[in-house]
Amino acid sequence: MERRGFRPPLPLVLPVLAVVLVATVVVAVTTGPADIAAADVLRAIGRHLGLSTAGVPRLTDAIVWDLRLPRVLTAAAVGAGLALGGAVMQSLTRNPLADPYLLGLSSGASLGAVAVLVVGIGLLLPVAAFAGALLALGATLTLARTGGVLSPGRAVLAGLAISQLCAAGTSFVIFWTATGDSYREILSWLMGSLAGTTWQSVAIAGGALTLVGAVLLAQGGKLDAFAFGDTAAAALGIDVEHLRWGLMTLVALLTGALVAVSGAIGFVGLILPHAVSVVTGPAHRRLLPVVALVGAVFLVWADTAARTVFDPRELPVGIVTALIGVPVFAFLLRRGRGAAWS
Amino acid sequence: MELTIRGLRTRLGGRWVVDGIDATPPAGRLTGLLGPNGAGKTTLLRLVAGLLDPEEGAVLVSAGPDAPAPTVTVHGLPRTARARRIALLEQESSSSVPLSVSEVVALGRIPYRTRWGTDPDGNHAAAVLRSLGSAGAAHLADRTWSTLSGGERQRVLIARALAQEPELLLLDEPTNHLDISAQLHLLTFVRDLGITTVAALHDLNLAAAFCEHVLVLREGRLAAAGHPRDVLTAQLLREVYGVEADVLVHPHTGRPVIAFQEHDEPGGHAPRTGST
Repeated sequence: MERRGFRPPLPLVLPVLAVVLVATVVVAVTTGPADIAAADVLRAIGRHLGLSTAGVPRLTDAIVWDLRLPRVLTAAAVGAGLALGGAVMQSLTRNPLADPYLLGLSSGASLGAVAVLVVGIGLLLPVAAFAGALLALGATLTLARTGGVLSPGRAVLAGLAISQLCAAGTSFVIFWTATGDSYREILSWLMGSLAGTTWQSVAIAGGALTLVGAVLLAQGGKLDAFAFGDTAAAALGIDVEHLRWGLMTLVALLTGALVAVSGAIGFVGLILPHAVSVVTGPAHRRLLPVVALVGAVFLVWADTAARTVFDPRELPVGIVTALIGVPVFAFLLRRGRGAAWS
Repeated sequence: MELTIRGLRTRLGGRWVVDGIDATPPAGRLTGLLGPNGAGKTTLLRLVAGLLDPEEGAVLVSAGPDAPAPTVTVHGLPRTARARRIALLEQESSSSVPLSVSEVVALGRIPYRTRWGTDPDGNHAAAVLRSLGSAGAAHLADRTWSTLSGGERQRVLIARALAQEPELLLLDEPTNHLDISAQLHLLTFVRDLGITTVAALHDLNLAAAFCEHVLVLREGRLAAAGHPRDVLTAQLLREVYGVEADVLVHPHTGRPVIAFQEHDEPGGHAPRTGST
């Protein structure tokens, strides 16, 4: 009998993770160049939510409410969204290497973002990135659909081609027009960064996560039916085509919104679903809510490290997730869990 | 459940794979679907399951337990309603997902979940246990699917099908890759379920021993239908399979027992015509 390990019950895991997430957010907000006590963080948040009238120094209040809290909350929403999207994509395409950027989304978003960064209209960046992501998705699906049935395998290959095209376009724009400081800004965005996030970012990432995440969590149970292939899923009453393309489009919309606020942060959507399923098992009703919470906690810590370890200099968070992600990937690969890895 | 297959025709890749089949498998009994490779058995099962649309003809089932006459077309049923009444076991069921056995069986409850994925009556866990128990797989509940033997896997898949609480069970070569004891166990179990069952079978002796009714396909058409005793004759085996055989009578059951003769052309599989 294969060793299955301990699978803690969901009603225990979810509340524990929720508490861990709240604690993570508070600790992350206290962390930074200016030391702020956890009590002050809670007081400042309470005051803004109208729960408390306790006084907080004005500077502390500004750092907590205007700088750190939006960034930490954006990190949590982006982490949750990427991990959730990655888990869904891996099941839909039956490809353990799938991530939320699979259909050319990150490259399309990068091209859009770099184009406006170079022109210098920073305010439009999320809009341009989102538009780029959607255009790339449209191009991928059109290419995948030409001359044949739209299969997941074709979609992955088409996504690869569109990614390469957008990457070439991005390189061209940088090479041709970027000067001086815009290089650093562009590079940081391409590697994925949460620097400069505002409450607007929280609204975009959090809104997309809430809307799309609710549907993914509710419909995710049906993904289990794909374990034995499309025919088996259809025999269980699932509209295979409708569900697959509906969920893929939803993940694409979510990813487009996340990429718009943070750039393409790698490895979260690829690694966390594998790592979490070691503990929860592969059944989606358990995996999806847990992976979303773990993704949120993970990216908050990764971003906190990115902005504090080399203080005053800040790393793009994508470098930190890669530094953590690659060893974890190597470990999971050596552990060789299940036939999906062979 | 009463089942009537009426004038069913469909093409795959330009060829008429199922070419005008009319049949009425007996309700509550095991019907064997026989025929050489490529005769259209799998396609016919998928058509009956409602997973493929026929170009012509219809599959009729009863509207419900109170109205037994087959009046409703399978292809007109909503997907979920269909999955609550008809279960299909594919020929090759493999999965690389490390699901546990109870999770595999719980897949059979998907048609009973609400739109938002919840269990409306809170009885899914009980239904999973019950299905595992009646398929003789209760002891496997906590195993991982990938560690099971072929016979254990078939029991678990039968349990998954039973969790759908089907009135019609469609099995595509369920005895493939099983040892003889597992084959006998499976067919005995399925025969005694009392559910209308259509099973594609390769082993004619097993079909003769267990089926109440057989449908013999050749090139998408029905070559013969009826009780194995009346259908499985030396002449039919020659016509459909191109083999020579002596059909004996089982000393205890009175059912046919087929003793095949060697092909006289060494290594050849060409169908022989006429008798020697």
